[in-house]
Formats: sequence, C-alpha cells, structure tokens
Amino acid sequence: MNLQRIVIIGSGTMGSGIAQWFAQQMCYVELVDNSEEQLKKAQASIHQSWDKLVEKEKLTSCKAEQMKKLLEIKSLNQVSKNADLVVEAIIENLDIKKSLFKSLDEYFAPHTILSSNTSSFPIHLMAEAVSDERKKRFLGLHFFNPATIMKLVEVIKGKDSDPALCQELYQWFDGKDKKPALCKDSPGFIVNRVARNFYGEPLRIVEQEDEARMKEVDRILKEVGGFKMGPFELMDLIGIDVNYSVTCSVWEAYDQEPRFAPHKLQKQMVDEKRFGRKSKRGFYKYD
Amino acid sequence: MTNVQFQDIIINFGFGTKAEKKKILEQNPDKKVFMDLTCYDPQEFYQSYPQLKGTFSALFCDENRKVETHLKEPNPAFLSKMKDLGYSVIETTIIACGFVFPRTIAQIINEAYFALEEQVASKGDIDRAMKFGVNYPKGPFEWASQREKYVVTLLDELHAKTKDDRYRVASTLRNSLS
Repeated sequence: MNLQRIVIIGSGTMGSGIAQWFAQQMCYVELVDNSEEQLKKAQASIHQSWDKLVEKEKLTSCKAEQMKKLLEIKSLNQVSKNADLVVEAIIENLDIKKSLFKSLDEYFAPHTILSSNTSSFPIHLMAEAVSDERKKRFLGLHFFNPATIMKLVEVIKGKDSDPALCQELYQWFDGKDKKPALCKDSPGFIVNRVARNFYGEPLRIVEQEDEARMKEVDRILKEVGGFKMGPFELMDLIGIDVNYSVTCSVWEAYDQEPRFAPHKLQKQMVDEKRFGRKSKRGFYKYD
Repeated sequence: MTNVQFQDIIINFGFGTKAEKKKILEQNPDKKVFMDLTCYDPQEFYQSYPQLKGTFSALFCDENRKVETHLKEPNPAFLSKMKDLGYSVIETTIIACGFVFPRTIAQIINEAYFALEEQVASKGDIDRAMKFGVNYPKGPFEWASQREKYVVTLLDELHAKTKDDRYRVASTLRNSLS
C-alpha cells in the first residue's frame, strides 16, 4: 500500500493533529473545513508547532519547509478527487456524518478509501450512506489526542470493509510512527470500552464525594499501578461531562450492561456543572 | 502460602482460600499478624480477628515490588521486615474489598477478556491499544499473566458481597484456569 494523497475533513483538534501527523510522514495533505477562519487557525498552529521543533533542533528547517508545502488548506470542492485516503474528523453527529459521506462517495474516485475518526458511532451505520462498492473501502481510523504524539490508531473493520484492505492499512501504519490495533466494529472499539473501569471502579471505591479519598485512590494507582495519572485527575482533565457521555453511550450500546453503568457521582458533577479543569471545579478545585 | 515469623509477628504471603487464611489467624491468637488479603475484604477479617494488625496486597506485585498496605496501627518492625524482603510498602487508609489497585486492574482485565470472547480484537492488539492509546504501563493480558486465578477469586468475592453483576467473570477468563 502506498498512501500519498490524504484528505482530512474537519480542522478541529483531532483533524488538525491527524493532518499534521500525515504531513510528517511526507504525505501530501489537504485539510478541509467549512470555516476558512478555522482552517487558517489550524494551519498556523501546525506551522508554529513545526517551527518550535526546529528551534529545539528536533527537526531541520529544510524538512519543516517541505512539510509546510505538503499541507494545504482547502474547501471540499477544491480537493483532489483521486485522493488515496480520506479521514473524516468532524462533529460527532451521525446525520451530519452520513450526509457528508454520501457526498464524499459521489465526489471521490472509486479507489479512494473513506474513513471516520469517530469514537461514538458504529462504522456500519455511517457506511449506510455510501454505495455497495465503496462500503468495501470504508472503515474506521480512530486516532488518539494528541494525534502527533499518541501512537495508537484503531483500525476498525466495518461489516462490509474489505479485510485485506484493513490489514494493508494496519501494515502501513505499523511501518510508520504508529502502533495500530485491528478491531471489530463494536461500541467503544477497544480503548473506550476496556478503559471504562479505570474510572468506574475507583468511583465505586470512593462511593461518595470525598476529596481525601479520591486523592488517595489517585496516589495508589500511580504509585502501585504505575499509571501516569489517577482516575479522578484524569477525568478532571478529560472533562467529567465528556467522560460521563462516553460512559453512558457505551452503557446504552451494550443494553445497559452493569459493567458499564455510570456512577451517581458522575451525574452529580455534571448536574452541578463541575466538569473538571475547564470549569475550574471537578473532583478537585482549580482556583 | 508462606509465613515469615520473627519476634511476635507473622507475615502471611501468598494466595489461599478464605478458610485457609482464617485458619492461620485462629492458630495464632497471641501473635501480631499481617496478611496478604488481595482477593478478600480486609474489614471482614479485622472484625473477627483482633490479632490481625495489617493487611496488604502483594499478589499483583510486579517488578516494582510496591505493595498497597493498610495498617491498623504503626508497626516499624513490620515495615522494616518488608523492606528487608524487597518490598516497598505503599500505605493506604482505604479498606476496600480487593484494595484499590487489584480491584481496578481486575475489572480492566475482565473487560479485556469479554472483548476477546466477542472477538473485538486479538490479545496482542488489546494490549497494544491500552498501552499506546491511554498510556497504561502494561496491557491487560500482560497484567493478567499468571494472575488469572487471583482475578477470578477477587471478582467472585466482589460479586458475592455486592450482588452486582458488574463483577460477573468473563467465561474465557474463568476457562483459562482449567
């Protein structure tokens, strides 16, 4: 497999991070967004990041200039129709995504692989919007934030995705600066499913709001378990509202399986608008 | 199980059934006993055995040899002996069935087994995803290696105590014991 022309749709945190990573692999990247202002902001931020790497002598200025040339910002109707791979990273709204994929299917050449960076929706539901032929070249590529640093890409095989294509993509990422994991199209994929109990069990150990107890749980999981962050400080960083929403979505998708049940403390925090660091109050205070 | 005895102290290491653990306490009413209760509820033991002066969780110990430990009262002799034995005691005031780390990691391992039996991904890809997607120091199957019996015993104990089906053990995990 030789991926040379990549289109990234959506220039938010994930989209711009994914675009930056592909450009760093010396792929030609077209970054697309509805908002020209947002696109310019994303491009400036990526350029700034490369300039910083040059300053720190982690990147040569020649390479940085090459990468800047490889990354272009465009509107959708300007991008190359013969792209090898499209990665969608827009808002998590199924109807909007389906409508986008319908138009992408019509726009791009038959060989173009269409993929979604969704963390919430089943790949097969989005694939409903494309033709039967395209369904074989439709899959999930779930990157983790920040995409230039986190090594994992979940390569998600949809119901009709060509298994050989998924395997080729796996090999391609494996040969680059990533650690791919091949997985089935099931709720939460691997990480958002298996990680649920890193939050759920500590919540049941503390049971109710008790800052000293939460601090102690965080400390033990870091000291004994070797985790970089404890569950309560991590939920505060991610956003308790975001974490609660992922928990509820996995729980619902598994027919309210008790293993994924949200905890009353999560709901209490969200109801009180204590979302974590971003609201200066979560399980801990950030004044 | 192994007992380390010195002065009037017994430190009981290793896996045992609840009955086996209780028998050791019953046989040593006049000693100060410190016991590995990784898979059980320390509170249940403290209530019945005043000679139990501290509990710890060493069954999930890896090369860092850090042991989550609850002490009813300070005991420098115990701490010194643990140090001599190569353990680093991490004290906690939380008394919870399965402690904090074993209980949390047991649930992560159990979920990884559920994902495996639903063929979500291979063991290697699940381990890789957790290490490189959320920076876990080890993958769930790497953690579980040689400890499956402890994970199953702990989850069965939590299930029996709470009657909560969130602690139901994945069949592939239970079958891995046979």
